[in-house]
Amino acid sequence: MAEVHIIGQIVGASGFPQHSLFCKWGINAGGAWRLLSGLKEGQTQVDNPQNEEMAYWSHPVDVHFATKGLQGWPKLHLQVWHQDSYGRCELYGYGFCHIPSSPGFHELKCVTWRPVGTWQDQLAQLFVGGGPQLKTSDLIYIGADRYRLQTTSMGCVHLQLAVILRHFDRYGVEC
Amino acid sequence: MAAVSPSVFLLLVNGQIESANLPEFDDLYCKYCFVYGHDWSPVSGLEEGISQITSKSRVTQQDLVWNFPIDITFKSTNPFGWPQVVVSVYGPDVFGNDVVRGYGAVHIPITPGRHKRTIPLFVPESTSRLQKFTSWFLGRRPEFTDPKVVAQGEGREVTRVRSQGFLTLSFNIVTKDLKKLGYDMTSEVLSVPEATYRP
Repeated sequence: MAEVHIIGQIVGASGFPQHSLFCKWGINAGGAWRLLSGLKEGQTQVDNPQNEEMAYWSHPVDVHFATKGLQGWPKLHLQVWHQDSYGRCELYGYGFCHIPSSPGFHELKCVTWRPVGTWQDQLAQLFVGGGPQLKTSDLIYIGADRYRLQTTSMGCVHLQLAVILRHFDRYGVEC
Repeated sequence: MAAVSPSVFLLLVNGQIESANLPEFDDLYCKYCFVYGHDWSPVSGLEEGISQITSKSRVTQQDLVWNFPIDITFKSTNPFGWPQVVVSVYGPDVFGNDVVRGYGAVHIPITPGRHKRTIPLFVPESTSRLQKFTSWFLGRRPEFTDPKVVAQGEGREVTRVRSQGFLTLSFNIVTKDLKKLGYDMTSEVLSVPEATYRP
């Protein structure tokens, strides 16, 4: 079986309306893929940066997959949350990106979005915070049911991922 | 020597902790250590180090330069648990006690060649207001008992940090026998240069 290593970091996030952010992440792969070792989901620390341009998490990622097929190449999905000074959490963005299929070091920027509700919801959000969230988080990385959503764009999550492939050339696969 | 089918590969890391950009602090030193998986073991070189205490240049109030060398060789059978270098920066507070001014971690680059990495530095924050007050009153900042937690992915959701400043590392990487073990570290098949097309 061919093997894929994904080694890197969720560096941080920029372009969000407020700081004190954290991120829930997960890696999702198709049925032919098997996780051999490493964590495929997690949550970063909460960073309240001194320099307000960008929040940094430096969250390590190190996963090892074995695969029998190329379909369902792993995807990394992210949820950015804001934690206020009372410890309340509020959703700030969803995003996903494919793990790069070519080996080597990659710097990625994952764009994010957030669902918006009706104008009543938005008015309530302005005063008390919160806001609509997805009931099922699969929607972050599945395109089938998206057309029913109304969303707004949010900031970027910065990633540094190194991809190591093994035995792909043995099967004639060019990545 | 006939190295027919190697079972281990080697990763040679030469590099240095160049400098840090921490505008608010001065007279700092740093420690480094490596965190790696079960299949990895160091072959030669120092796994830990403590640098000199450096202060900012009087001429250009800019970076704190350490120029501190890192030379280590690892061997492994499996890239999982690829080594990370963990750096922690310390310096005196107003009472002269050493307190932490930043933690940071980064994976050693995987591809051979020269690499430069600028990593963010962060310190843990007190979670409760009482702790915030006592740490301010007693002049004791929260610290990680083991700096290696910054290289781990588990249990981070409970920590609150404040990022303040950056640290620059440079690496020269040499690998041996990774290709023979079937690992592809760089894309050789499709070496198309990146281009942007504007119609």
